[in-house]
Amino acid sequence: MPDPISNRRQMLLQSGGGFASVALANMLAENARSDSHDRDVHGGRVQHHLPKVKRVIQLFMTGGASPMDTFDYKPELERLHGQMLGPTEKPEGFTAPAGAIMKSPFAFAQYGECGRWVSNLFPEQAKLVDEMAFLMAMTTKTNVHGPGTYMMNSGFLLPGFPCMGAWISYALGNLTDNLPTFVVLPDARGLPYNQQGCFSAGFLPAIHEGIVIQATSKNPIPDLMPDVRYEFANGSADRDGLNLLNKINQLHRESNSGDTRLDARIAGYELAAKMQLSAPEAFDLSQESESTHESYGLPKASTSDFGRRCLLARRLVERGVRFVQVWSGPQGAVNNWDNHGNIQTELPPMTESVDRPIAALLRDLKARGLDSDTLVIWTTEFGRTPFAQGSLGRDHNGGSFVTWLWGAGIQPGVSHGRSDDWGYQAVENKTWCYDLHATILHLLGIDHERLSVRQNGIDRRLTDVHGHVIHDILA
Amino acid sequence: MAHHTVRSVFRETYPSQIIGSLSVTGIRASSWSRSCASLALMLLGVASVVAPAQTRAEDAADTFHQKVEPILRRHCYGCHSHASGQMESGLSLDWKSGWVTGGDRGPAIVPMQPEASLLIRAIEHTDAELKMPEEKLHPDDIAILVTWVRQGAFDDRAIEPQATEPTAWWSLRPLIAPPIPKSPNTSERGLQENPIDAFIDEKLTDAGLSINKPASPRDLIRRLSYDLTGLPPSPEDVEAFAADPSPEAYRRWVDRLLDSPRYGERWARHWMDTIHFADSHGYEHDVGRDNAWPYRDYLIQSLNQDVPWSRWIRQQLAVDVFEPEATDLIPALGFLGAGTFDLSTYSTGPVTFDYLDRDDLVTQTMAAFASTTANCARCHAHKFDPIAQEDYYALQAVFSGIVKGDIPYDADRAIGTQRRQWIAMRDAAIARQEGALNSEVAQKLIADWVEARGDGAVWQPLDLQSYVSMEGSNLIKRADESLIASGPSPDTDAYVLTGSSSCSRITALRLELLPDDSLPMKGPGRCQNGNLHLSEVSIRLFEPGSKEGRPIRIARATADFNQEGWGVERAIDGDNKTAWGIHPAVGQPHQAIFEFEQSVEIAAGTIVTVTLKQLHGGSHLIGAFRLSLTDGPPGQAIALPQAIETALKIPSSKRSPEEQLSIAAHIVRLAAEAELAKLPVPSKVFAAGTSVSIPTGNGKDQAAAIAGPKVVHLFQRGDINKPQQVVGPGALSVLQHTASRFDASVMDKESARRAALADWIAHPENVLTWRSAVNRVWHYHFGRGLCDTPSDFGRMGGVPSHPELIDWLAVWFRDDARGSLKQLHRLIVTSRTYQQRSDERPDAAEVDAENRLLWRQNRMRLDADAFRDYVLAFSGRLEFAMGGPAIQQFHQQPGPQSTPKLDYAVYDWSSPGSNRRSIYRYVWRGIPDPMMSSLDFPDLGLLAPVRGFSASPLQSLALYNNPFVLHHSQIAAARMNDMAKDSSEAVRQTIRWAYQRDPTDREQAMFQTYMDEHGLAALCRVIINSNEFLFVP
Repeated sequence: MPDPISNRRQMLLQSGGGFASVALANMLAENARSDSHDRDVHGGRVQHHLPKVKRVIQLFMTGGASPMDTFDYKPELERLHGQMLGPTEKPEGFTAPAGAIMKSPFAFAQYGECGRWVSNLFPEQAKLVDEMAFLMAMTTKTNVHGPGTYMMNSGFLLPGFPCMGAWISYALGNLTDNLPTFVVLPDARGLPYNQQGCFSAGFLPAIHEGIVIQATSKNPIPDLMPDVRYEFANGSADRDGLNLLNKINQLHRESNSGDTRLDARIAGYELAAKMQLSAPEAFDLSQESESTHESYGLPKASTSDFGRRCLLARRLVERGVRFVQVWSGPQGAVNNWDNHGNIQTELPPMTESVDRPIAALLRDLKARGLDSDTLVIWTTEFGRTPFAQGSLGRDHNGGSFVTWLWGAGIQPGVSHGRSDDWGYQAVENKTWCYDLHATILHLLGIDHERLSVRQNGIDRRLTDVHGHVIHDILA
Repeated sequence: MAHHTVRSVFRETYPSQIIGSLSVTGIRASSWSRSCASLALMLLGVASVVAPAQTRAEDAADTFHQKVEPILRRHCYGCHSHASGQMESGLSLDWKSGWVTGGDRGPAIVPMQPEASLLIRAIEHTDAELKMPEEKLHPDDIAILVTWVRQGAFDDRAIEPQATEPTAWWSLRPLIAPPIPKSPNTSERGLQENPIDAFIDEKLTDAGLSINKPASPRDLIRRLSYDLTGLPPSPEDVEAFAADPSPEAYRRWVDRLLDSPRYGERWARHWMDTIHFADSHGYEHDVGRDNAWPYRDYLIQSLNQDVPWSRWIRQQLAVDVFEPEATDLIPALGFLGAGTFDLSTYSTGPVTFDYLDRDDLVTQTMAAFASTTANCARCHAHKFDPIAQEDYYALQAVFSGIVKGDIPYDADRAIGTQRRQWIAMRDAAIARQEGALNSEVAQKLIADWVEARGDGAVWQPLDLQSYVSMEGSNLIKRADESLIASGPSPDTDAYVLTGSSSCSRITALRLELLPDDSLPMKGPGRCQNGNLHLSEVSIRLFEPGSKEGRPIRIARATADFNQEGWGVERAIDGDNKTAWGIHPAVGQPHQAIFEFEQSVEIAAGTIVTVTLKQLHGGSHLIGAFRLSLTDGPPGQAIALPQAIETALKIPSSKRSPEEQLSIAAHIVRLAAEAELAKLPVPSKVFAAGTSVSIPTGNGKDQAAAIAGPKVVHLFQRGDINKPQQVVGPGALSVLQHTASRFDASVMDKESARRAALADWIAHPENVLTWRSAVNRVWHYHFGRGLCDTPSDFGRMGGVPSHPELIDWLAVWFRDDARGSLKQLHRLIVTSRTYQQRSDERPDAAEVDAENRLLWRQNRMRLDADAFRDYVLAFSGRLEFAMGGPAIQQFHQQPGPQSTPKLDYAVYDWSSPGSNRRSIYRYVWRGIPDPMMSSLDFPDLGLLAPVRGFSASPLQSLALYNNPFVLHHSQIAAARMNDMAKDSSEAVRQTIRWAYQRDPTDREQAMFQTYMDEHGLAALCRVIINSNEFLFVP
C-alpha cells in the first residue's frame, strides 16, 4: 500500500488543483482547530454513551414499498381475495376508494434460520435475512407522499425541519475533513418527493444539509473545480490565488481579532482544499475491480444505477463520510415504488433494480470489516393497501410498512412488531419514525431526548416529544 | 444563558417557591432542579434523617424528577395541572397533595399498591370507563409509573403550584414607556442625547463597561449603506463622507439612503424571510408560482413609501376590506399566500389539508406580527405561554374561509373602480333592486341600450351546402333553410354545417331551435323529454383556396331561455362536459345568439362551417334548427327572454311596473356584463381568497372556491379524528386590549374575520405588536435583537437584554413616530450605540462575551442576497430595474411529475435579468440555489426570522469556483482596466471598489505581483473571496 501522504502529494502535483498548496501545508501541519464557535457551527462531538455505530447508510425506497408483496407475508389475503372488506369511505390521503382485497401475486417462502418469509422479488436479500433485524409494524401519520417522506426523514409532517442526516452531522461532526459529512445519492432519474427538502438542515446551520451528488456527473460535488472555460481561474492562478487569499485573510484577522467567524472562513478554504484532493478519488469507481462491478450489478442495465450508488456509498463511508442516503426511484407516477396501477408489473422492476446491489453492499461491507461500525437501514415512507386500487394496483397506506436494519449493534435475525392479518394496520409493537430515529441515534451514542435545539419557542428534537429506543432489535 | 438568569433570580428571591415555579413553567429537570429538590427536602425537615437514608431519598428524588415527572408532565398535565388551568374531575397531578387527595373518584394513587391505584388502572386501560390517556402510553412509560408506585410513590412536590400571573411576563406587561435614564454623557457632550444611548449606557455602567469609540467614517458609511440598502457605497461616497463626517453630514446620508428605492428592496427581503415567502409551493408537487412577485413589489413599494406599521398590517391581512378602492394594493394579500401549499394533500386529504394549511397561516401571522408561537397550542394549552388551546383554534377560524391561489386584481385603480361599479350594477340587476335600477345611471343605460338595439339585428340564414351528423342522425333540409333530424337517435352527436353567406361582414351567429310535431314532446330536442344539450359551438371560415379554416372567436352567448344550471355560456366555455339546455320550456321555439369578438370580413366565395357538439349523452340532441348570420352592430345581436321581448314591444307608458322592472333588470345586467367584458383582463397575484385558481404545474391551473367560512372545531390533542366544540374566530385571550373573540357580525363573511384580526393586531394597545416591530428592526441593525428571538417573545424565547429599551422604543414608534419605520431607522442609526466601532475589547469580553450589553457594534457577514448584490455592484453590472416577474436564474426542464428539474450550474450569467438584485430572483422552495444556500439563505419551508452563519468547505468551494463569481470576476476586471491607465492604477481601483479604500503599499505590491502573473480577473476572484469583502465592520 503506497504511503497516502506521498500519494496525495503526487496527485496534487499532477492536478495542480488550486487548493492544493494550502491543503498540503495543512496536511503536513494538521493544525487542528478547536474553538467553541467551530463546535457550535460545525457539529459538536456529542456523546451521551459509547457508540456502536460510526457511520450510516440509509436506503430509501421512494413511493411506498409494498410490504405484503415483499417481506410481510399475509396468507389471509389469499383466502379473502376479491372480497370488498375495506373502508367504504375513502380515507384521507388515499387516492381512490378502496377496492377488493387483493392477494399478493408473488410467491413467498421462508428463509434462513430465522424463518423470515420473503417473496420471490428479493432472492438475494432473502439469503441475508439472518443478518437483518426487521421492524414489521412501522406506521406513520399520513397517506400522502410529501408529508410521509418528510416524516420518515425529519420526524415532522411539515417542511423546514432538519432531517436525520443533518441532526447526525450536527451532533457528531465529521469523521474526515476530506469529504462532506452527509451525502445524498438520488436516483439518476430525479429527486424524491419534496425535492431537497428531504435533505435539508432546516434551522440547523447550513453546513449540515445533505450534499446532493449525482453519481454519474463529471462534477459530483458542486463547484468542486472551476469550469475550464475560465482560464484565469485554473492552473497556477488558482493555487497562487488561494495563497494570496490566505495571506490577506490573515492580515485582516490580525486587525480584527477575537472574531471566530473569520477563523472559520479561513479554515473553510483549507478544508475545501482537502476535499478537492480527496473527492475525485472517492468518486472514481474505475478503481474498483471488475468482479466488484459485477457483484453490484453495474454492467446490467436494470441494476447499474442503484448498484453504482451502493458501491459509491461503500467507498464514501469507508473514507469517512458519516451518513449516506441512497434513494431508489424519483418522485412521480413511474419508475418508483408508488405502484398504483399494477403491482404485478410495476413492482418487479423496482425490486430487481435494488435486490442484487443491496446484497452486494452488505457482503462487501462485511468483507471489509466495515460492519463493525456501520449501520445500514432499508426503508420507505409508507406501505400500501391490502385492497386493490383499480383491480391490480395498491394505494398509499400509512398503517403498516416494513423497515430493516443491518450492521453494528443490531441483533441479527430478529423481528419486532406485527401488522394485522391483512397487513393494513400495525397492531403489535407499533413502531413510529420516532422510535426508528431514537434507535439509530442510540446506536450512534446519542440520547435522542438530549439532542435538541431551541427554535421558535420549542426545544426541537429529531424525535419531537416521542420516541423509544427499540431495545428488542439491539445486540 | 437566558435561563440561568431566570433561575438565579428565583434562587435568590423565592427559594420556597422554586418547586412550584418549576412545575408551572415546565423548565426541564436538570442538575439544578435536582439540587433544588434536595433544597426542598431540607426545607421540609427531611434533612435530619441519617446519611444512608438520605442517599436513598436522593435516589428516589432523582428517579422521580428524571423519569416519573416528565411522563406526568407530558401526558397528564394538559388536563390535570395548575399551569394548564384545567383539573379535570378535580384531579391535579402537579403536586403531591393533588394525587393524595385525588379528584371526584378519590385518591389517585395508593403508594406500594399499583393495582389499587386509580392512576395506574387508568393508564393501563384496565377499566373500560377510565382509560387515560386515550392513546395508551408506551409500555416503558407504564412500567416506570408502576414501579414508582410500587416503591412508595416518592414525590417531593410539597407546595401547591401557583398558576403564574400570565401577564407578568415581560412581553405581556402593559406597554408603558419607562423614564429615560439620566446619563452623565448628556451634560458632558453638550449634545442632545439619543434616548437609546441613555438606556444602553445605563446597563453598561452598571456592568462597569462603556461604549466603544466611534467607528471611522469609512466603516460607518459602509455599515449604514449595508443596513439600509444592502449595497456598498461607492468609493466617491466614502471619500465625500470622510471629508465631512459631521453629524449633519451623517444625517444627510441617512436621509439619502432611506429615500433611495434600494431601501425597500433591502427591507422587503427581511420580511420575506420572516414570513417564508417563496415562488413555489414546496412539498411533493413543488409547483412554481409565477404570480407571487406582485406581493414582493408591494412590499418594496410600501416600505419605500413608509406606510405606517398599523396600516401595513391591515393591508397585508385585509386590504380588500380596509381600502376597497385601492385595487392596486390587492397584492398586499400575498401575505396570506406566502407559505407552503401541499397540493397532494389538498387533493387527497382535504380535512388534513385544511387543518395544516391554516396552521401554517396562523403560525406565520402570529410570529411575524406579534412574535408569538400560537401554534404551540395546537395539541394542548401552550406549555409555556398563556395561550389556551381554544385561542389557537379561534385563530384558525379567522382563516377558515380562504384557500391559497391566484386572485385577480386591477393594477390600475381607475379600471378597478369601473370594474367594481359594473359588478355592483350587475349584482343589483340580478337582485332586481328597484332603487339601483331606477337610478339615473341605470335608466340612461336602458335608454341607450334600447336605442342601440333598435328593431334588433337582421338575420340571413346560412345558405347550406352540406350538413353532416357525425353519428348517423338523418338531417334533412327544409325550404326555409332549417334542418330537421330523424332516423336513428344516437347517444351523442356533432353536427357539422357548411354554407355561404350573402353578408360581406358578419358579427354574430344565431341558432334557432324549432319545435316540430315529429319530435318527442314536440322538441325542439330529440331526448324523450324534448330537451337537448349543446356542449360546444364553434365556427370557422374557409377563404377561397385555403385549407386551414380560420376559427372565429365568440365573445358572448345569450339565449332566450336557460335551463337552471345549464346556461348558454356553457356552450362556449371550451369544456365539453358542460352544455346549454332548455328544459322544461320544451315544445316551443328558442334561440341562442353567439356574438363574435370582432366583426369579420367575408371575401366572396368564403365557406362558413359551424360545428354543434352535443356530447352529454342520452340523446340530448337538437331536433330542428336553423343557423343565421348578421352584420348588425354590437348591441343588436342579443337574444332576450320571450317575456322581455314581448314586454319591450309594449309602449313604455303601458307597461306594468313588474314588466318595467323585468326589462330594467335584464337590460342592466346585459349592459353591465358587456361593460365588464370590455375591461382589460385583470392581473393576478398568488395570495388567498374565497375564489382562486391554484397553479398545478405545466401551466395548468385549478379553480377552487369556498362558499363561506368553514366550521372550525377544537381538536383534542390536535387529532383531526377527535373534534370537540366549535370555535369562532378570535385571537389570544390573554391580551385585554380588545375582545379576543370576534363579534358575531363577522361570522358569515370571511373578509370581516381577517379584518377583525388585523384590527386586533394593529390595535395601539396590543402590547406584542409594537414590541415585535421595534425589536425586529433592531435585530437587522445590530445582527441580534434586544430579544434575540424576534419571532418568539414567549418563555421559550430569548430573555431580552434591555426590556425597558424595547418598551420605550415601542411606545415611541407607536406614538411619536406614528408607526414610521424610517423614523425608527433614523433614531437607531443616529445613536452612538449604533455608530460605535465593532472591534473586540478583551476587558469587556471578559464581562460580557456575547456583547449583549452592546459595548461594541457587531460585525456582520454579508448575507447571501447581499453577497450576490455586492459582487454585481463590484463588477459594475448591477442593474437597478425594479419590480416585475421573478428572474429564473436556472435552467428548467420538465420533471417526472409537476415539479420541474432545475439546473443552476448551467445558467448563463450574461442573460437578461441575470444582473438584477437578489430580491428579484425566483426562489424555488424545495430546489434552492446551492451558492445561496452555502451562504445561509434559509430553507423557506419554515419561517426564518434570523439568518444563520456558517463557514464550510462547501461555501468556500462555491465562492471560489461558482460560475457566478468567476463570470463577474471577469466583468469586474474589464471594468477596473477601463478605469485605469496602468496596472498599478487597476489594482488601486479594484481595492477601492471592493473595500472602499485605497490599498496599503504592502497590499499594492502583493496584488500587483499576483496580477502581473495571472491577470486582473484572477485577482478580482481572490478579492471577492476575502473576509474584508464579506464582512461589514
